[in-house]
Amino acid sequence: MTPEPELREALLAAVPSLRAFAISLSGQVDRADDLVQDTLLRALSNLHRFERGTNLNAWLFTILRNLFHSEYRKRRREVEDPDGSYAGRLKVQPEQGSRLDFEDFRSALAKLPSDQREALLLVGASGFSYEEAAHICGCAVGTIKSRVNRARFRLASLLNVDDVDDLGPDSMTRAALQG
Amino acid sequence: MTTEMGNKLARLIPEATLSDKLDPKLDSSSQRRIGDQLRAMYDELMQQPVPDRFKDLLEQLEKSNRSRADETGKGQAEGPQ
Repeated sequence: MTPEPELREALLAAVPSLRAFAISLSGQVDRADDLVQDTLLRALSNLHRFERGTNLNAWLFTILRNLFHSEYRKRRREVEDPDGSYAGRLKVQPEQGSRLDFEDFRSALAKLPSDQREALLLVGASGFSYEEAAHICGCAVGTIKSRVNRARFRLASLLNVDDVDDLGPDSMTRAALQG
Repeated sequence: MTTEMGNKLARLIPEATLSDKLDPKLDSSSQRRIGDQLRAMYDELMQQPVPDRFKDLLEQLEKSNRSRADETGKGQAEGPQ
């Protein structure tokens, strides 16, 4: 399991996207960094299982995602952890001095069921194809598509994306929405 | 409040545009806007500097492996194919 310099570079290069995924998934920077660290350690001790030439990032995301879910299940058994508490935790900003205000978006994201949040993050932000995301989550491609659709739809309604100006072709639709 | 909003929105989507599995579908401009916000939030996270703990971790592992390989002799480091 020697991390050759080349591999070390590849793992380091994967850290920003692993962190972004872990932070968005868990809503906690500390926990996300622990997850990323565990992912790297797990990856290094399982390197023999990685098929060279295949997508290293997808493999790492799979490990991280599985760690997140096993940890989540464990916690859930210990403490009752309904979805609402995630939203509260998410108020902790990843870094101080955030240039843009993503507060609304973050809290809307936090209200999604975790399987939908995960699917949306993989496909809509991490740049994986539906097929890759399905592989990472161990489910069918159709399931991922469905989760992504639901996630987008729910976010749109939570964020009132539609009420800005370009949803309805007619003003009656808009009036109905605002009423 | 927000769920009520969602329900109203859901009623506005004509049935014909629903996918086979009856999943809700967004119009393309709303979808684009959600996607843009998501990527903007994500990009900001991606641009954060990598915490030193990860560099340190990988360096440490490399060092400890190298010294172990030195002790046990050559060939151990590579392992069988």
